[in-house]
Amino acid sequence: MNYKLLHIFRNTPFGRETFLQSLYFCKKINAHPVVYIPKTDKFLMYFSNDVVQVNLDNSFLAFPDTAHEHVIALFDEAGIPPRFYEPKDFTASTLPDISSQFDYMCSPRSISDRSSKIGLGLLGPKVRRMIKQATFPILIASPVFKAWKSISVFFGGSSNAMNALVLGLKIAIASGFPLKIYTVLEKDSEEVYRDMVRGSELEELVDQYVNEWCFYESSGFDRMLYEVPHDSLIVLGAYGHGVIKEILLGSKMEYIQSTVTNNLLVTGPNCRISLK
Amino acid sequence: MSKLKQTYNSFYAKFFLFDDRFVLMTAGAVVGIFAGLAAVALRLSLATVLEFLAPYRQYAWAFILPGIGALFSFLFLDKVMREGAGHGVPEVIYAVSRRGGLLRFRSTFSRLISSFLTIASGGSAGPEAPVVMSGSAIGSNIAKFLGLNDRQRMTLVGCGTAGAIASIFHAPVAGLIFSIEIILGEWKFVNIIPIAIAAVAGAQVCEAIIPTKELFQPPPFSIFTGDILGSIGLALFTAVISVIFTRTLRKVGGLAKRTPVSPWLRAMIGGCAVGSIGIFMPMVLGEGYHPIMEMVGGTFPMAFWLIFIGIFLKIFVTAITLGWGGSGGIFAPCLLIGSLSGVVFYKAMMFIFPNAAVTSEGAYALLGMAGIMSGVMQAPLSSIFLIAEITGGYEAILLLLLVSSISSTLSHIIEPASFYFKDLIERGEFMRPGTDARILSDLSLNEIIDTNYTAVSENMVFREFINIIRNSDRNHYPVISDETGDYLGLVRVSNIRKYALDPAFYDMIFLNQIMDTDMVTASVDDNLHDVLEFMETFNIDHIPVVDHHRFSGMISKARILDLYRRELIMQTNIQ
Repeated sequence: MNYKLLHIFRNTPFGRETFLQSLYFCKKINAHPVVYIPKTDKFLMYFSNDVVQVNLDNSFLAFPDTAHEHVIALFDEAGIPPRFYEPKDFTASTLPDISSQFDYMCSPRSISDRSSKIGLGLLGPKVRRMIKQATFPILIASPVFKAWKSISVFFGGSSNAMNALVLGLKIAIASGFPLKIYTVLEKDSEEVYRDMVRGSELEELVDQYVNEWCFYESSGFDRMLYEVPHDSLIVLGAYGHGVIKEILLGSKMEYIQSTVTNNLLVTGPNCRISLK
Repeated sequence: MSKLKQTYNSFYAKFFLFDDRFVLMTAGAVVGIFAGLAAVALRLSLATVLEFLAPYRQYAWAFILPGIGALFSFLFLDKVMREGAGHGVPEVIYAVSRRGGLLRFRSTFSRLISSFLTIASGGSAGPEAPVVMSGSAIGSNIAKFLGLNDRQRMTLVGCGTAGAIASIFHAPVAGLIFSIEIILGEWKFVNIIPIAIAAVAGAQVCEAIIPTKELFQPPPFSIFTGDILGSIGLALFTAVISVIFTRTLRKVGGLAKRTPVSPWLRAMIGGCAVGSIGIFMPMVLGEGYHPIMEMVGGTFPMAFWLIFIGIFLKIFVTAITLGWGGSGGIFAPCLLIGSLSGVVFYKAMMFIFPNAAVTSEGAYALLGMAGIMSGVMQAPLSSIFLIAEITGGYEAILLLLLVSSISSTLSHIIEPASFYFKDLIERGEFMRPGTDARILSDLSLNEIIDTNYTAVSENMVFREFINIIRNSDRNHYPVISDETGDYLGLVRVSNIRKYALDPAFYDMIFLNQIMDTDMVTASVDDNLHDVLEFMETFNIDHIPVVDHHRFSGMISKARILDLYRRELIMQTNIQ
């Protein structure tokens, strides 16, 4: 495999924990972390139909003299050769264009306009916007390093959820970790969800790699979150709603990430996952 | 609900998808209206605040006003909007040149507000670049909303520019030409119609809200033969002033970056410096439309030397305003510097040849504007039509043609890149449609890279490798490290004949002994133009793409040429 994960490094203890998550993730799926040490507090990512400006908080620019050295030390500890990303193009002198040609990206939780609320677990509009436009899955790491030993796919039957299932299978194949599917039954019966998987030519792989498929009644959403093992990587699909829809309808994604402490791997509506 | 959706889809398919020109024409009109509204909003709010602050400018403490304005403008842009520095037009050109016209939604209003704060407080800048940025961002975001492709999005960006310029100057033809000459850089039928519609829509919005048609109204004048020589002389003068203006803008901006002061304080200092100069010469403050009206009308009261000094002071205050943290464009300062240059030249000419049969001072102010705009922007057509339209007449069109063409040519010889393009050219990011670099940059790297290659291990025995090539039609095999998965080198079938023909070698050698490790590699971040240059320099037809030490695939000259042809045909077939 030749996958690359973009990691935006923050030279603080919190940033180190996040980077450890990226390193662990990459080791497990045989990908390579590529580190970008930001020199400005904002950068742009151009996707096919949108341009997302990511605004970092000042902690990402902290202690620039030691950032490089700390990254190399962490790479060495993980036994992975260090790789850095240097932006080549600039929209304006303070706005580097960061390539969107990555296979994964680790999103530190504070990629948000409302960094004051990060402690409360809010994702922020920027992460949502990136999830909406990104062609790659986004890893939302737990606040402290936590090795995951299994994979849990939240499967709700939508096309995004199907993408998440494919991604979960892909991670399970690469890492060798057991995979469980969790489904909350909204209106349909268990059989409808199983038929969806049968219809998507994934049945064979699901039979081979999925250890268990857990179903919950619609009122059992919280119980499902409680029962997901704490050391499991949660893979789920998200839509990247706009702010208004978010306020009116709320967001399961927001709720999940502020409730569980697991690492999350999120696929957006434009995410392209291939099992090849 | 589903029936409604079906009806909508059927209408959409029948009307819009029948021919994308309908989409572009309709969307162009919408973009033009919104861009026009943005321009009118800025124009009216500026007029109101400038009028409100006018009585206070006579006091000594008023020097601080532009400082406060620049400070708020900087803080708004940097802390609230978190936008990069710059006056906007190069950002739009960059978006069209490299990013298929993608612009952020916040750009639809961020520059309008920051420029309003700068100009209304007295900073020397123009409202045109911000409205161009705003209009273009409106076009880009409407295209995004409609899910249009890159080419259509770029056309709508052009529509936004045209609508904004047409509205702020009430000059639809100038809007159309500026959009095509400066922003898009290509005259194509598919662009011209929607952009013309947007320009008309923008101008009509302006007329509906601000009924006065022309921004400046010169008295009627006659043209004499002596004006031909006068125009040539004026063109030489304005070319020199244009180059001085362009270089001062860049030098002062560069100086600001090297000044060890925090950016917000820098903006304040710059603004106060502008305000201090404005106490002694108020005409250099703001966008400067009022003194231009007087000069065009032939009623400007200042003496020759004061006007002459005024040219350089205006250049200086504009450079300080824009270089030290303020926000705005150079369009209006160009007009003021141009009209001052025209009047100075006329007065000097009258002093030397008092009996010369030439037209009026107002006409020379107009010609001076065209000369400076052509020199700074190196876009003669935009200057000619803008001046002709904003003054409501084409009497001086011959002289405008003469001044604009000579001034732009001369300044191009001295300063090969215009102010708008210079930064982009220096960064290698200025690519006009139809050029090799642009076509290559439009090709997606994923299209070019051939990933269908079998990677081989560094410790593979040659016999095993022979079995692989026997069942494959490839001539190149990337060698990968067993331990790290890194790319180590390449085995080329043409280079291993002597081993292949001698079975004695089969169990003796490993691939890491025969692989080619010196072969130049490309990265996925390299642009195709650079990759082709690699190929030319090293005289090779294939180049391995190695991304962060991992083998990503191969790029071949034949494949690039194939896709280049396809892209060229696609781009040139669009009528």
